[in-house]
Amino acid sequence: MITVAGITKQYGKRTAVDDLTFDVTAGRVTGFVGPNGAGKSTTMRMMVGLTRPDQGEVRYDGIAYTDLRHPARVVGSVLDARCMHPGRTARHHLRATAAVSGLATNRADAVLAEVGLETAANQRAGGFSLGMRQRLALAGALLGEPEVLLLDEPSNGLDPDGIRWLRNYLSGFADQGGTVFVSSHLISELAMFVDDLVVVGAGKLLAAESLEAITARSEVSVTAVTPHADELAAQLAAHGLASAIVGDRLNIPGTTTTTVSQIAFDHGIRLVELIETSKSLEDSLLDMTRASAEFASA
Amino acid sequence: MTITGSPTITPSASTTSLASTRTSHELTVVPGTRTTRDDLRAVPTVLKSEWIKLSTVRANKAILGLTVAINGFAAWAVATSVKDEVPTVSKVFVFPALLTAVLAAVAGILLFTTEAQHGTLATSLTAQPSRWIVAASKMAVTVGVGLVLGTAGMASAAAGALVGGLEIGDTSAAAPTALYALLFISLSALIGLGIGMTARHSAAAISGLLVWWFVGENLIRAFAPATVSRFLPFDAGYRLLGVGSDFDTPEILAVALPRPSLAVVFAVYAAVGITMGTVLLYRRDTN
Repeated sequence: MITVAGITKQYGKRTAVDDLTFDVTAGRVTGFVGPNGAGKSTTMRMMVGLTRPDQGEVRYDGIAYTDLRHPARVVGSVLDARCMHPGRTARHHLRATAAVSGLATNRADAVLAEVGLETAANQRAGGFSLGMRQRLALAGALLGEPEVLLLDEPSNGLDPDGIRWLRNYLSGFADQGGTVFVSSHLISELAMFVDDLVVVGAGKLLAAESLEAITARSEVSVTAVTPHADELAAQLAAHGLASAIVGDRLNIPGTTTTTVSQIAFDHGIRLVELIETSKSLEDSLLDMTRASAEFASA
Repeated sequence: MTITGSPTITPSASTTSLASTRTSHELTVVPGTRTTRDDLRAVPTVLKSEWIKLSTVRANKAILGLTVAINGFAAWAVATSVKDEVPTVSKVFVFPALLTAVLAAVAGILLFTTEAQHGTLATSLTAQPSRWIVAASKMAVTVGVGLVLGTAGMASAAAGALVGGLEIGDTSAAAPTALYALLFISLSALIGLGIGMTARHSAAAISGLLVWWFVGENLIRAFAPATVSRFLPFDAGYRLLGVGSDFDTPEILAVALPRPSLAVVFAVYAAVGITMGTVLLYRRDTN
């Protein structure tokens, strides 16, 4: 498990990360979301010792990253897929990475096969597409067969097949007991495979809970179409449910189709259509982070 | 999970197989905490990584090729053009060493700045959080690069001089001159590394180095007393070659330091550069 305790980082007068505390549980995929400038990348760099926090600490099962005996065998990280020399081949890049990590250099071919780049092993990284660079960077993170994967925007540049492969790989990694901590702007994509979410805005923690809990809080509403709209509205009001009538359509927030259909049935009101809608996870998260977005579109 | 004083390792099935058949990513190794012994054990592997990085980029081979070509051609040119005195191979082989030292300094800069600019420095530092290991390995490789460039350069210059028709000449001073030249070139490479570690930008580091070396020091030499200018770094380094300069006035020659002292002066500058670079490597955040 990763324990992030009160980490803070300031650059001059700007506080990039402000007293951030959360846990990342093993056996689960934890998404890390927030608007641009929220401090996600700074946080991830602090988690692998590249940036020193001004306060607080990050521990992997109680051990600071800098105290791990074999960091590459505990944590595999991809913070920037462009981190490779363009003149070096994929195989040489991984061999150099394996060597500096204290791993066998012949692991390079194994991980290249794992990410589907075996045919590009002798190709220089400068000629790689963004998606190929993402895969190569992931291969580098997998060299040490780590227990933890820390990935910053790993699906950038991947085609749909690649995104699906990544999603399945990370889910499978967590199913086998591994810890996955992945940041992404693609909230809808994250929602397909994360178990927990950590939401940050302006360097501060906004939420750290299960996807289920965040989704459950999303506002649900029901749209009912009936030729007896006024009668249904009156009965709903008698049950404490407010509604807005537009012609023969009622919009009833904060309830379910089961509740509305039961009320209609009990009072003999015919329903033509009954639809339940909920605010998307993306909308919920955008609402959560709107106030702290540094760069927001109009 | 319990951290014990004597860490035990439970091997997973995948550690003996290239094709990972690992069925669990659960923590099976009691990691313990890193010790100085772990750091020392990491040095050979990091050196291996530095060698892989050095030998798999065409630019480094180009620098070696350029060194050989420049030295050979320069020595041949001297051999075929100098008429008022008869030089010998034992003297000419070290003439182009100044150019080799410049190339070595540039190589030292690039050994660090390309890593910083391409982001592979971050990979090294996440793999080895004890940053002194990365710094020490780079220093060792840089010295190695200097020695290789120096040896190849002098060999090429000797060959060029021979091809140009020169006699071998008196070789009694050749060995110490060659050793001092190697020292000059290797320390130049180290100074380049220190500059690279400080600037973290190739163009800024290289241009700053060349401007200081060929403009700054000449200006200081022109206006400062000889007792001061003899401590200029690259002036001291160049004089290790035992080659005279057109700018040597009687005043300069009167206070010239002996070679061992020049070596100490130049080495101090290299040590300062490397120390500053290592301190900054520890203090600076890395993206």
